[in-house]
Amino acid sequence: MTKRYLRDLAVLLVVVATASIASLPVYAQPARTQNPPDISGEWILQSDEDPGALGELGQPPLGDYLGIPFNEAGRLRAETSAESLWGTQEYQCRPHSAPHQWRGLGGARILKEQDPLTREIKAYHVQFMRSLDWPIYMDGRPHPPAWAPHTWSGFSTGEWIGNTLKITTTHLKDGYIRRGGPQTTDMFTMTDYLTRHEDILMIVTVIEDPIYLDEPFIQSTTYVYDRTGITATETCNASAFAENGGTNRHHVPHFLPGQNTALTEWLKKEEWVPAEPARGGAKTVYPEYRGTFTGVTSAANLRVPSSRSSVAPDKTIADQAPKDGQVHILPVQENIYMLVADGTNITASVGPQGVLLVNTGAAAMTEKLQAAVNQLATAVAAAASTNKCAGPNCPGIAFGWSSPYINSVISSPTPPKPLRYILNTSDAPEHIGGNEKFATSGFYPRGGGLGAATGVGRSASVISHENTMIRMTATAGKPGGTPERALPTDTFFDELYKLPEYFNGEAVIAYTEPAANTDGDSIVFFRRSEVISAGNIFSTVSYPMIDLQKGGSIQGVIKGLNHILDLAVAEYRSQGGTWIIPSHGRLSDTADVASYRNMLVMIRDRVQDMINKGMTLEQVRAARPTLDFDGRYGSNTGSWTTSMFIEAAYRSLAGAK
Amino acid sequence: MMRRFVFLVIATALLAGTAAYAHHSYGATYEVTKEIKLTGKLVQFVFRNPHAFVTMQAPDEKGVMQRWAVEWSGTTQLGQSGVNAQTLKVGDEIVVVGRPSRVPNEYRALMVTLKRPLDGFTWGTRAGEQVD
Repeated sequence: MTKRYLRDLAVLLVVVATASIASLPVYAQPARTQNPPDISGEWILQSDEDPGALGELGQPPLGDYLGIPFNEAGRLRAETSAESLWGTQEYQCRPHSAPHQWRGLGGARILKEQDPLTREIKAYHVQFMRSLDWPIYMDGRPHPPAWAPHTWSGFSTGEWIGNTLKITTTHLKDGYIRRGGPQTTDMFTMTDYLTRHEDILMIVTVIEDPIYLDEPFIQSTTYVYDRTGITATETCNASAFAENGGTNRHHVPHFLPGQNTALTEWLKKEEWVPAEPARGGAKTVYPEYRGTFTGVTSAANLRVPSSRSSVAPDKTIADQAPKDGQVHILPVQENIYMLVADGTNITASVGPQGVLLVNTGAAAMTEKLQAAVNQLATAVAAAASTNKCAGPNCPGIAFGWSSPYINSVISSPTPPKPLRYILNTSDAPEHIGGNEKFATSGFYPRGGGLGAATGVGRSASVISHENTMIRMTATAGKPGGTPERALPTDTFFDELYKLPEYFNGEAVIAYTEPAANTDGDSIVFFRRSEVISAGNIFSTVSYPMIDLQKGGSIQGVIKGLNHILDLAVAEYRSQGGTWIIPSHGRLSDTADVASYRNMLVMIRDRVQDMINKGMTLEQVRAARPTLDFDGRYGSNTGSWTTSMFIEAAYRSLAGAK
Repeated sequence: MMRRFVFLVIATALLAGTAAYAHHSYGATYEVTKEIKLTGKLVQFVFRNPHAFVTMQAPDEKGVMQRWAVEWSGTTQLGQSGVNAQTLKVGDEIVVVGRPSRVPNEYRALMVTLKRPLDGFTWGTRAGEQVD
């Protein structure tokens, strides 16, 4: 035996012994999920992917859509969106859009949140330089309902598949795939796959936007473990001044179709890039597309496999306002709750003084709505609770004596206070249908004392704009018309109406929005709860319904949305803060209203431009000025179609000339 | 070894540059090959992140007085070139050369140079003084 042989044998024995010892616990314990790799720590971007994507000045070239499976709508949106949208008040401090976060500079921090007892990982938290915290829940919780708010980070759940963490993210705000043009709608979802190979973290991101992409957009990004670094954090101190100059705080920068002539500038420097694939498209991402360069085939004749998004946009959008015959309750903020009743939103203030409703839903939903309101009122303001003190000296209890709690013990707590107010934001049937039954179930003390007339005060106060009331009275008493007891008891005619005193501890103010959907629309602002009930001015599931016969106009709707944005304040980084409840669709914040406003401004300006060129209504329709928004807000069927919306926009603008 | 060195250089450069990179794309926001000259009075100076802004009243090409927003660097980069929150004062008469916005009729520009004739203060004329 040589010395070398003995040494090798020793090494072998050590290895075998070590392996045996290491494996002992596996046999000694019951079957248990293998610990996933630890991905927590500070990571730094290794920007090897897509070399050149940053372009000059560290920015992606304008008009570079290489590899993006855009459809026609996505391309138009990209080409008409202006990067200086960042300068609007609502977006000055928004974080990067989720698809870009992994590609943004400044590193990534991944934290793990563990149960202190079981040590199980409940959640990961990912933080980038320009982001809000991105929690990834590992505890099996479901994703929120479709009518819940969307955020910049979205709502994410994670699961380990072998050594890969799969992250599924929904409820994202609209944003961009990469800076400088390619946009996403708020219908996009993101699936990330994180795999750690020693000190390398590989992230594969699949972005599905069924409105703008014909196929999922997939990108990979590599990070390197950073033992000494700390992920940068950039604060953002937005201010009220307009970054885009001028004096119009509601300015929305954008390009008319064909107006942005700079989209091909980068191709002059990158002559090797053919123009057609630079504009993106599903066919251009397949290897077979190379055949178009050699003349083997043409793009028109090219057949490629199809892997369309698994997200069904129509259903996903409709789910935000489900026509399911049910009432869904979403707590909003402080006193305020959003009730989704067969697709129509009702706003409820519930508290110690009783209940206030903004609109009453469709007539067919009244009984279910009443049950939901009673349930809320009982739970919020009249719930039974246990006695925390016994005897005559209990602090915080009326008269300092605990005996009133006996009512709780015998299950007969104080009933909730009744409905006091109904505010109608319009005369739309789905907003006033429950007026009669709700009003008569309520109580508003109008008279009193010794001279009180019989019946006075035995119903809720119903408040609306005068024009809304006039329209309701036009059909009052007629078959199918507004019942007498559903009519407003109080009206206002000028720019605002405020309740004469606090209700549930706060000011409640109705603002008139002239010539918006009609000439009688209003919004309701709950000043302490920081919630605005927007009525028909704002919807997340359709274009605004504009009734020209009733004095509506697209300019009025935009003005109303701007008014909401003037009243509302984001909590931080263009998110949260004042909540806005649309007539239909998901709960929203300032950024969502801004997005809707921006969309309407773009469409308005396009239609106005066509009118200025002398185009007829039919020519405008044929030019499809809403093409890039139709998949999100349009409809070819139902009571409010895209064609009707275009006509309303056209006629209100042509008439304004 | 060489690969590791190259990687370190790139990583260091990226780290060093994080405070300077814009959150939005300059190339998409501004006409990076064009320049405009604005002469007027400073009405607001916001020294902040991610970018400082100089707001000034100056005539447009038609001679109509406008309120211009001129985007400058972030506070870290400006600090490195000696600019702080007190450097400019409301009422200062300044001359700005900037790159105009790509959006028509938008009174916005990216700072290239700034001069204050009263005391000869300048920015943008020395090495490293550029918004990137």
